[in-house]
Amino acid sequence: MKVQYQAKPQYILSTFILFFIIHSIQVGIGIQGFQRIIFSEAKNDSWISVVLAGVFTHIVVFFIIKTLQLYGPTDIYGIHIEVYGKWIGKAVNCIYIFYCLGMFVVILNNYIEVIQTWVFPTVPTWLFSISILLLVVYGVTGGIRVIAGAGFFSIILSVWILSFIGYPLRFVDFHHLLPVMESNITSILKGSYKMTITLIGFEILYIVYPFMEDRKKVIKYAHLGVAATNILYLILMLLTLSYFSPGQLENTNWPTLSLFKIVKLPFIERTEYVAVSYWLLIILPNLLLYMWAAVRGIKRSFERKTKGVIWFFTIFLFFVSIFINTRSKINQFNDFFDNIAFYIAFCYPFILYILALIKKKMTSLKEN
Amino acid sequence: MFFKKLFSTKGNLIPKDQNLIPETREKMSTEFKQRLQNSADISENEIGASGITLFSIGTLIDKTMLHRDIIDPLKGLSFDSTQKIMEHLSIGEIEKSNQMEKAVQAALDGNVIIFLDGNSSVLLAKIPSRVGRSVSYAQNESQVIGPQMAFTESLLTNMTLIRSYIKDTSLCIENLQVGSRTNKLVSIVYINGIVSEQMVGSLRKRIQEIKMDGILDSSVLEQLLAENSLTIFPQMALTERPDRVSDWLLKGKVAIFVDGSSLAIVCPQSFMEFFQSMEDSNVNWQIATFWRLLRFTALFLSVFFTALYVASLTFHYEVIPQTLLFTLSESRAKVPFPPIIEALLLEFIMELLREAGARLPTKVGQTMGIVGGIVIGTAAVEAGFTSNILIIIISLGALGSFVTPSYTMGNVIRIVRFPLIILAGFWGFYGMMFGFCFLLLHLLRQTSLGSPYLSPFYPPRFADWKDSIIRLPLSITNKRPDLTRAEDEYKFDPIKAKKHN
Repeated sequence: MKVQYQAKPQYILSTFILFFIIHSIQVGIGIQGFQRIIFSEAKNDSWISVVLAGVFTHIVVFFIIKTLQLYGPTDIYGIHIEVYGKWIGKAVNCIYIFYCLGMFVVILNNYIEVIQTWVFPTVPTWLFSISILLLVVYGVTGGIRVIAGAGFFSIILSVWILSFIGYPLRFVDFHHLLPVMESNITSILKGSYKMTITLIGFEILYIVYPFMEDRKKVIKYAHLGVAATNILYLILMLLTLSYFSPGQLENTNWPTLSLFKIVKLPFIERTEYVAVSYWLLIILPNLLLYMWAAVRGIKRSFERKTKGVIWFFTIFLFFVSIFINTRSKINQFNDFFDNIAFYIAFCYPFILYILALIKKKMTSLKEN
Repeated sequence: MFFKKLFSTKGNLIPKDQNLIPETREKMSTEFKQRLQNSADISENEIGASGITLFSIGTLIDKTMLHRDIIDPLKGLSFDSTQKIMEHLSIGEIEKSNQMEKAVQAALDGNVIIFLDGNSSVLLAKIPSRVGRSVSYAQNESQVIGPQMAFTESLLTNMTLIRSYIKDTSLCIENLQVGSRTNKLVSIVYINGIVSEQMVGSLRKRIQEIKMDGILDSSVLEQLLAENSLTIFPQMALTERPDRVSDWLLKGKVAIFVDGSSLAIVCPQSFMEFFQSMEDSNVNWQIATFWRLLRFTALFLSVFFTALYVASLTFHYEVIPQTLLFTLSESRAKVPFPPIIEALLLEFIMELLREAGARLPTKVGQTMGIVGGIVIGTAAVEAGFTSNILIIIISLGALGSFVTPSYTMGNVIRIVRFPLIILAGFWGFYGMMFGFCFLLLHLLRQTSLGSPYLSPFYPPRFADWKDSIIRLPLSITNKRPDLTRAEDEYKFDPIKAKKHN
């Protein structure tokens, strides 16, 4: 296979769509309940953890783009082959594909768990799983333009949710945030570490990069996307910390959804029912993009026809998702992929950058 | 000798000798009749002793013109060549031919074959009879402000209408034929220099590739030209308004006319454009914007409102505020069905009423109003069949679907409701969201003549948002939509326009 990949003109996307891609894949399942997990580590300084994690994300994104810029139009699968050679490269690609599929299952199962807890306690997992998977197949077979479109609309059509922030704002007590820096540095950093599963998604840059129209502007829109996510998380964190009392927050599994509970409109109550169902539109681009990334991995490394691969993955993921059906199994799975995601999304880009740089130097030395 | 040689080589070049016009009158007569299956309407007039015979299909030609312009001038004269005859006649379209096949085709097109005994070529004079109606009011796409004319079934009249709207040298009309048996004339109309050449090319190719025996109307042609026949959404617009077509031509679109059809096909078309009416540009931009927002709200109401009712009452009655819930449960107390059956039943009745109203003669049509309004509306509630509130919701939904300016899109909106109601009845809000996501992905996947269907929203072209769900003043909207990929992007120079306005 070739290291560089020149996308066909009909698949090229305007660069500013990258903002929507990055933002829509980052915001998904984590946003529903990240506050409690971070609060258990960093207490009332959780917002500092959010800021730190956000800054760290910007650094990682910077290095991801640096790595990609070394090669021109290429994706991570091409870079792996270039850096590790043909066979090890393909093996590493397989790990990356496995990671994408893993994240897919994490998102799918967490969403199914939320919807079962909040709305339909008796509807079996497989029914949700199969319906969402069919939706994903329909989207992914449409190609990157359809997927990016889903991300775009998922954000545009979800902006109204932000207006609900006003309701809890009337009951907040900002004294909950004081004293600042009560927790020690280690617990704040631990809190930042727990942000992993909420923040990941930006590594999709590695794969959508060759589809961008103007690759010079990628750096701008990628950082804007990440910044939008960080601001959203920071606002939510501050709101949650000042709205809930510490004891209450420790016992609230999904604080964001609980915030919806107090929204009362003249024609609608219990807005969280609407929100939980509406979340399907928010997680849809995540699922589409991870599935697409995995399918592209197979296509790039093994040159297979995508349609068969999509169906194979779908059936595989369906069985995995019905196997992970209880809270404890989901938790185990989450923790496992939390660790993996931390290493692959946050640490690996640095290593890859250094390796790519060394490789580049070596080849130029050889040529000379 | 030399001429004979030339003739014989010609004969060798065309292997079928019978393709040439026979030289004697009897042979010509039998040949002509045989080719047209001895049809009863073949007419054969011999003019005096001049040796001229007129062959034609009597039902296709104008009898007065035949007598006034052909028989009268030729009567009593004698000619030795067809060229001389041609000089004697004053008919607009006249041509010479020596091919039998061509002569017969021309006869089918309303030509009279003027045959001179002993001559190997004939004259084809076009005097078609004009059967059809004159230009009348636009009834299906009526509007208060703006021209009231509509296309007719005559291609010629339609072209005249378009030409009278756009008096531009670069307006281009291309003729093609479709249907191996109907042989309908199809015209592709566009403005050269604005339209994207690639789009015209692909459209031309698609029309040429059609292999069907008969295409009777442009709505059939539209189905054959559409990229995806699996989708329920219309991918090309059908309109009967010449001003509408002209406006779209100026935006860089391509129009297709079929002879014998009063509807023009216009493409590429985006989803949003089906909710725009020509009247929007004839009124103030504030009013137009209000109308467009109204239509868009109506779209959502029409598609999701009944489903929302079913979902809330079946699974999520907690979301309904207490005061509203009281009214709801009171009106539903006597209803024996679950909400999904109730809603489907009423929607079904609504569709029956609409279909009956559309098929009935206008005189009986008023009865439908009484049946729908009194018998079904009031009686159904009193009998405890349905709840009052559902009747309000269903009629709102129906109203919403009729607000859509495009009839084809209105049909789609009404049908899309049914799967959504069923999904809502099975899975509540989740089912509705599932349906919505599916529709979104489905619309994202569609294209119209290669242009994205959800344009200008996706791919986002913010400049085109000025004339989409809203409409801003004309002096601002000077750019042609990105949808048409127009070669000349600007309608006018914005700076110059500002100075004048």
